[in-house]
Amino acid sequence: MIRIPTKVLLVDDEEDFVEMLSLRLQEAGEKVSAAYSGKGCLDVLEKNNIDVVVLDIKMPGMDGMETLVEIRKRFPLVEVIMLTGHGSTETAVEGMRLGAFDYLMKPADFDDLTTKLQGARKRKDEQEERIRLAEAKLLMRKSGGAF
Amino acid sequence: MESVRLLLVDDENDFRRTVAKRLMKRGIDAQQAASGEECLDILKNEPVDVVVLDVKMPGMDGIETLHHIKKKYPEIEVIMLTGHATTQDGVDGIKTGAFDYLSKPIELEHLLSKVRQAHEKRIRSTEKQKEADFRAKMEQQMIATERLAALGTLAAGVAHEINNPLAIIKESAGWMKSILTKDELAGMPRKADFEMALGKIEKGVERARRITHQLLGSVKQTDSNLSEVDLKNLLEETVALIQKEADNKGVEIVQEIDSSIGVLWTDPYKLRQVLINIITNAVHATGPGGRITVTSEPVDNRVALTIRDTGQGIPREHLKKIFEPFFSTKPPGEGTGLGLFVTRSIIDKLGGEIDVESQLGVGTRFLIKLPAYPDTECDLGKNDL
Repeated sequence: MIRIPTKVLLVDDEEDFVEMLSLRLQEAGEKVSAAYSGKGCLDVLEKNNIDVVVLDIKMPGMDGMETLVEIRKRFPLVEVIMLTGHGSTETAVEGMRLGAFDYLMKPADFDDLTTKLQGARKRKDEQEERIRLAEAKLLMRKSGGAF
Repeated sequence: MESVRLLLVDDENDFRRTVAKRLMKRGIDAQQAASGEECLDILKNEPVDVVVLDVKMPGMDGIETLHHIKKKYPEIEVIMLTGHATTQDGVDGIKTGAFDYLSKPIELEHLLSKVRQAHEKRIRSTEKQKEADFRAKMEQQMIATERLAALGTLAAGVAHEINNPLAIIKESAGWMKSILTKDELAGMPRKADFEMALGKIEKGVERARRITHQLLGSVKQTDSNLSEVDLKNLLEETVALIQKEADNKGVEIVQEIDSSIGVLWTDPYKLRQVLINIITNAVHATGPGGRITVTSEPVDNRVALTIRDTGQGIPREHLKKIFEPFFSTKPPGEGTGLGLFVTRSIIDKLGGEIDVESQLGVGTRFLIKLPAYPDTECDLGKNDL
């Protein structure tokens, strides 16, 4: 079965972690980019087409929650999975209230991660599909009105 | 005053008996001894508050007897009886630790008032001692609490820092494992060895992860969500979660809930975690055919919850340690040693108490007392400000 790779952006100040998880996700067939800070994350999103951001909550400088808010504002269709290192589910749940798709506790189970990545990707695809349909309808009505 | 336990020591039998008789008329039932040796014999077997002690006695004299009394029973007050013109004996007695002295012939009223004073001093010092003991105990408890709190903070910090490298190890091992499944490596020499070792790494990481998460869970309990909890429902739900494990082991779980309990204000999630911890432990400790009984009843304005098992019991030397972090008797990798530690910190935070009794070969009983309404009004007030 041909699988379309999910375009994942990993954001964590732990570079070794980002590197190894990237390699593993790539091995599993995903297309992975990396960023090591909140700002770096937004830069990557600016230049690349990304489906899902896996975002560490605790980072120096701009932290995960700030980054999440910024992502929702500037790239509302991009899905976000929060990564929490300190087992504090409260922050993660707060993140979900702000629009994150889900969260994972570090160290995360790889199967959990892939399941959630697929879920996030599906939500994004469906949302884009709805937008496409709505646009098509709008176009029809407009053109219908024009002639 | 009538409650004073008095011992009269004098070799002059007539004098001693007369004094004893007159004391009896005033409501004091004094014991008598005719010599220093006899006095010490009596003290060995019976509690005495005040000794009235003649200085001049054949054999062991008063001062020597006083020495022995003060050495062995420093809490006993002694009143010396000296001969008429021999105040020096009395002074020596006071120097040795006597409460005071009276010169013969004595007046009963004098004797009574001295005995009363000595008795009061005795009571005061007993109370002081009790207070000091209590304070020492409280201080010890506070030290223990503070030590645990500090340990908790440290542990949480360590756990947090360890999670990151753990994640790196985990992803590295996982990556290598996924490479090994590739076709290009199908014929790799000793592939099974690599897979085996990578499996061990992953298992080890999983074990460490469980510990760090539990540790963080034990500290991260700042905000609790109090709500009305129907204890009967909560217990039934909790038991349902564990029922399968118990069935597999052939252990019966019996619930005896006093229906007058009704609801209590507490944190349902945390209380459930506590119940799961204790009941699961009970299942682990109980063999096939065993029984776990969960009872709950109202006590004053609190609720008492008892979890009793017919398991192997906890050895006396372990009982003190079971609530300490990292104390576990399960084989390495099976228990984190944090279950009961977490349990107790939850109960503390809910304003309750937890106690354990156990007898080897008979079983163990955990007793939890929870306030029906935790004293949160002042806390709530603070939050409003």
